[in-house]
Amino acid sequence: MIEPVALQDFFLSFFSAAMVILCGALYALLFAYARVRRQPRLMPVAYLAYLGLVASVLVLATVANLFATGFWTLIVALMLIGYLLAPHAIWHLCVGTHADEHADEEPRAFRQHS
Amino acid sequence: MAMPGTLDSANLNGGQKLAVKYFSVAVALFGAQIVFGLLAGLQYLNPDFLYGVLDFSVNRMVHINAMIVWLLFGFIGSSYWLLEDEAGIPVVGLKLGNLIFWVFTLAVAVVVVVYLLVQVGPGDQSSIWLINEGREYIEAPRWADIGIVVCVLVFFFNVAATFAKGRYTGIGGVLTLDLIALFGIYLAGMFYTPNISVDQYWWWWVIHLWVEATWEVLVGCLMAYGLMQTLGVRRKIVETWLYIEVALMFGSGILGLGHHYFWIGTPEYWFTIGGFFSALEPIPLVAMVVHSVFDSGTHNMKNNNHPALAWIIAHAFGNFFGAGVWGFMHTLPQINLYTHGTQWSASHGHFAFFGAYATLVIAFFYLALQKWRGNVWMSGGLAGAWKWKWALGLLNLGMIGMVMAMLVSGYEQSQIERAIEGSSWVGYFVAQAHPWFAQGMWWRQVFGWMFAAGFVLLVWDLLTLGRSERRPAQVHSEPGVH
Amino acid sequence: MSQLQWWASESFWRKTAIWVTAGSFVVLIVLTLDSMSAITAGGTRVPAYSVINHRIDYVFDEKRNFQVPVIGVEEPLFGKTLTEAEAKALVSRGKLTTQAKNCMNCHTLLGNGAYYAPDLTKSWLDPSWGSKEVREQQMVDFLMNPQDRLHNGLGRRMPNLGITGDEARATVAFLKWMASIDTNGFPANFTPIDQSDPPPAEAPADSGSPTQQQGG
Repeated sequence: MIEPVALQDFFLSFFSAAMVILCGALYALLFAYARVRRQPRLMPVAYLAYLGLVASVLVLATVANLFATGFWTLIVALMLIGYLLAPHAIWHLCVGTHADEHADEEPRAFRQHS
Repeated sequence: MAMPGTLDSANLNGGQKLAVKYFSVAVALFGAQIVFGLLAGLQYLNPDFLYGVLDFSVNRMVHINAMIVWLLFGFIGSSYWLLEDEAGIPVVGLKLGNLIFWVFTLAVAVVVVVYLLVQVGPGDQSSIWLINEGREYIEAPRWADIGIVVCVLVFFFNVAATFAKGRYTGIGGVLTLDLIALFGIYLAGMFYTPNISVDQYWWWWVIHLWVEATWEVLVGCLMAYGLMQTLGVRRKIVETWLYIEVALMFGSGILGLGHHYFWIGTPEYWFTIGGFFSALEPIPLVAMVVHSVFDSGTHNMKNNNHPALAWIIAHAFGNFFGAGVWGFMHTLPQINLYTHGTQWSASHGHFAFFGAYATLVIAFFYLALQKWRGNVWMSGGLAGAWKWKWALGLLNLGMIGMVMAMLVSGYEQSQIERAIEGSSWVGYFVAQAHPWFAQGMWWRQVFGWMFAAGFVLLVWDLLTLGRSERRPAQVHSEPGVH
Repeated sequence: MSQLQWWASESFWRKTAIWVTAGSFVVLIVLTLDSMSAITAGGTRVPAYSVINHRIDYVFDEKRNFQVPVIGVEEPLFGKTLTEAEAKALVSRGKLTTQAKNCMNCHTLLGNGAYYAPDLTKSWLDPSWGSKEVREQQMVDFLMNPQDRLHNGLGRRMPNLGITGDEARATVAFLKWMASIDTNGFPANFTPIDQSDPPPAEAPADSGSPTQQQGG
């Protein structure tokens, strides 16, 4: 079912997992920033961050032996697709939920966290 | 009404007067958490320190219990704080709520005194009914469990009845339902079984479904209210996003419970479920990132409470790193096999509890303080602003330092104790004696003192901030309430 | 002023939140029912309490790719074979003792607890007890008077928690029973105490030949 990480791969495992999240966030950040500031030049950098995520996921999948089983391979694929599309979807949602905001009122800041 | 800057309870509504009582006890318990954390940390460095007087187990128990209770007090206080604003009417049953506050506080005091003076009892039911239940985080003896349930039922009555009589906003509805879940789950931890697998199965229901589901949603409600207050965001948008968050958090968090069921005797299919939802859990964080950028980019950020907003930003980062990055680093069973139950867990636990919860409750302290002083100015050019800035810096850097130190220790421990030595007792002590581990514990202590210094400054600041300020708070148009 | 899309509306997300929460919860309940049947004592993953009448080992299983508990020949605890009811009472007493003495705020059990002292999941099988002949008494003696035994170079000692003889024996029973739980290979790479018999006195009642146990 699972094949644990080998001792010599511990560091890679922790590091690549951290990079998955960091690159995912960086991609989301740059993606949103490029859109919001209307700077399409930044978009390739965002996708570069996504490539970093892909690399990190592949390293993590290799050291954690995820490709040994179909289920875990599927998880890897889902992560790659999910993290690619999530910022797009959330962006649409942002635009959608704020759609009727600009007509009647002056702009104001809005941040939402968990 | 007194002039701005004077601490005057006439500035507060009924629910808010009760809230500041809860906040005061929360701050005191936060202090207790730090003191007992420092004592327990010192025992790593000098095992004879307080040996036989206040053993590590006692200090550590008070350390983690104080945390649970101060955060709960912070949550209860915050809920009372926003209750009248949201419902539009005075709190229903406030007298009873006040009485219960004193009962609750007294019960907590008695529990702690018994922890400290009696400590342990004979191996029978009387001990877990009267002294301590011996289960991490929910050590409170059974009599106190029942007391907590009663107190919380009264609190829940206050909340539900006030919303029902006034109006149910979106925030109010989510808060009420979340409180039912939050306290209903507590019942899952209130029974005895000789079977430790069954014991830990339900124990995780309480712990995980609190910290990775219901607490998160409760914080979402508080945040939604706080954002309308500090930034003047429109209710409709805030509430839509609250629902989106609930969907994402409960959708990934409830079955995320699976990542605690790898090694406690439960079937192997939990590997599958835990793995899948672990991969899913960062999605709410991605949503947060995109949304914050969207908002900060399309609007001017103007706010009337700088310390509160700074703590809310600390919360966003703390949640992202503490829960997101630190969690994902060792969540997959392929590596968790070696990190489970090491200083890794301690590192993650410290970062996540502080980053996701302590920060936000502190932000509420500042919101309360502002109003308590007659809605005084708390934006730029605030007199004595160095105190809150230094408190913020010392607390956050202290925490990051502790977390990094434990991370190094945990990394070494997972390799030497777990992977090489196979978790034998000898292996455990070999790993504990390793320089990486020992030095990690030293640095943890150093940063612990830094954290404690930050706390002292925080208390001083909460007592004095805005006292010499006479300007009223910066205004934003108030679309938050309609 | 543009119109709100249905997928961006408040009511859509309210409903989604409710359905997602309810759906997840229903799945959790179903899984909980299944897990409960597997981890009830005597179930597929957690043996009945009378397992303490037998030798318990921890052996690598090629098919599952980790170490699993193996229940071996009869080897009653403290030389006394117990009925299921007696065994349950004893283990329960031990479990209560671990709770009343707050073991979990220094040790981990099944990996959960505090990190100031070793994990107890397989403490029954730990090589530190010397040999299997002296193990039971060693454990009882240690539990009753741990303060005199400096067992590591760090100076860390377990305090005397006022554990009585009966409580200590019950705790040993609990620890032995806990070692028989199928924990999916946690802890990994563990080398158990040597429990092999010199002479084959009697044929084992149960399956399994708990002799060579080297983790992978």
